[in-house]
Amino acid sequence: MIGGGPYIEALPPLADVVQFCFAGITIGAIYGLVAVGFNVIFNATGAVNFAQGEFAMLGGMLGSALLGATGLPLPVVLGLTVLAVTVIGVLLERLAINPARGAEILNLIIITIGASILLKGTVMVTLGKNAAGLPAFSGNRPIWVLGATILPQALWIIGTALAIMVGLQLFFGRTLVGKAMQAVAIDREAARLVGINVGRMVMLSFALGGAVGAVAGIIMTPMTLTIYDAGTMLGLKGFAAAVAGGLGNTMGGIAGGLLLGILEALSGGLIASNVKDVLAFVLLLFLLFFRPQGLLGRADSERV
Amino acid sequence: MITRRQFQTTMVGGLAATLLPRREARAAGEPYRIGSLFSYTGPAAFLGDRMKRSVELFVEETNKKGGIQGHPIELVLYDAASESSKAVLAVKRLIEQDKVDVIVGDGNRSDIGLALIPSVQRAQVPLMSVSGATSLVEPVKDRAWVFKSTVNDVEVVARLLDFFKKKGVKDVAMLNDTGAFGVSARDVLRAQAPAAGVNVVAWEEFQPSDNDLTTQLTRIRSTSAQAIVCWTVTPAGVVFLKNAQQLGLKQMLVHGFGFVADRYMQLAGDAAEGLMLTSLKFSVAEQLPDGDPIKATILDYKARYRAKYKEETDVYGGQAWDGISMVAHAMAQSGNAKDKIRTGLETTIKEFKGVGGIFTFSPEKHWGLAKSDVVMIEWRKGKFQLVDL
Repeated sequence: MIGGGPYIEALPPLADVVQFCFAGITIGAIYGLVAVGFNVIFNATGAVNFAQGEFAMLGGMLGSALLGATGLPLPVVLGLTVLAVTVIGVLLERLAINPARGAEILNLIIITIGASILLKGTVMVTLGKNAAGLPAFSGNRPIWVLGATILPQALWIIGTALAIMVGLQLFFGRTLVGKAMQAVAIDREAARLVGINVGRMVMLSFALGGAVGAVAGIIMTPMTLTIYDAGTMLGLKGFAAAVAGGLGNTMGGIAGGLLLGILEALSGGLIASNVKDVLAFVLLLFLLFFRPQGLLGRADSERV
Repeated sequence: MITRRQFQTTMVGGLAATLLPRREARAAGEPYRIGSLFSYTGPAAFLGDRMKRSVELFVEETNKKGGIQGHPIELVLYDAASESSKAVLAVKRLIEQDKVDVIVGDGNRSDIGLALIPSVQRAQVPLMSVSGATSLVEPVKDRAWVFKSTVNDVEVVARLLDFFKKKGVKDVAMLNDTGAFGVSARDVLRAQAPAAGVNVVAWEEFQPSDNDLTTQLTRIRSTSAQAIVCWTVTPAGVVFLKNAQQLGLKQMLVHGFGFVADRYMQLAGDAAEGLMLTSLKFSVAEQLPDGDPIKATILDYKARYRAKYKEETDVYGGQAWDGISMVAHAMAQSGNAKDKIRTGLETTIKEFKGVGGIFTFSPEKHWGLAKSDVVMIEWRKGKFQLVDL
């Protein structure tokens, strides 16, 4: 085996498996949050927003730059960062997506690819090409569970992902605006006929997408660092998670992210670190082969 | 992508090439054309920025002093953008359109450098590489036109194994990135470890863009490794340190020579405390004994860079500085014909005092440094400290 250790013959200790799961759940929660961003915007526009990974990158980079420049307390900086990325999301929608509202889905997707390149380039020129970090929210002292360790920051990540999932579920199910957005997702024309302002809902979806993306970037950066081009890979993994969970489904996004993260960690941990990405994606392909609509997607949710 | 600065340099070069009557090479005053290829955008940009500036500084200073034996240097700079495909196109342009005599810089990534070799071999243009992998200059019969101005991982790994022996470290784990830099070091370690009496008990890998290495480190944790060697130039090396701290690993942590950067240490915070690194003398120049043959050379280059750019340079900028210094030295001795530059490098670079070490090239050996140019350093109390000279 290429670079493999003498691992296969013996079962790994339980503590190691627990450790792999912790790693998988943590990174999976990040993928899940990026996936949720994809889903929110997909529901409103029917298009996949390829700048979603960039929102997460912006969260980390802007947060780090703002903290370095102003020295304000961390919570204030993080709040301002989420606000800033939300505004960037809205601007993206107003300046690029809205003017092309009559266009084909494909054109919208290409616009988002352009936006992703623009955001990446702007950050590179203005904030630099170096990796940036953020301080951990509650220190770096690991917590021991079943012989494995988990950082307080990982708990923040998992907790935030769950909170956002529940929050969005309530928002879409219980509030008028949320229900209006759902209506647009289900049938755009019918929604317009009953008086829903579709344009505003699309703008709102970009605001939400930007905010969720920024939160994902902010909570991961203390553990993983971020860099101006980190959005590409995050976007890719997040997209895979969204598809696995069923494109357009909020719960599905988080579930898909967790699935992908755990698959990665377990295949990397139990087999060999160099098959991690391959195996995870092969398993996802299998899943889509048997359940093309994704884990939690509805079989009848033909959209495009 | 061409920045305005480059565009101007290129335009001036282009204009000069078309407006000035073509004269025989060697005619006094005819410019020597040096092409340069660094990545100052993309993931390798943090290395390429200072490399590019160092080369520009050298050209500016040399031209102010009247050029190389009266020949001003014309520098044509392109951005390799950390991508092999862009770098290959840029090298083609340097060779075919800009008609440079020699190229300094290989996009400052081992995998990019490797991708350029066929082009320069075919066109028979000397290339001074600034990247780490040994395979850039070995075997020399297939790499006749490629030289490098930094140390080979063969020497670095040998130096590291000496250090392990000295410290009584018998079992080690290797954790390298899957780029050419990491993979090359892995192969070198695989080849050298048995003879050195060091047992590599775990071979782990990660993608340069990975942001979690706890799975790999967990696997290493249950082995008998006394030291963990990480080989990368990417920020994933910071994640390695943070994850090792998270897992409460007590092993000695070691980074290769691509990670000697204050910024990385600061990003890792207290997780970097006590980290051992293999390095050139450059990063601990101030701590070298005064009798050290290259101490003054290093301090001089650092001061000049600081005076020009109002920022500190680093060891990677120094590699580019050495590269162009040696090329200029060879051109001063042998002129600007491509084959003369090549033989000039092979025959006139003997005991050349660079900022990276003392270089000696020969027709059989296209890398200049030796094991004795590598030192072991430790990151302690916010500073690189010389541990083992």
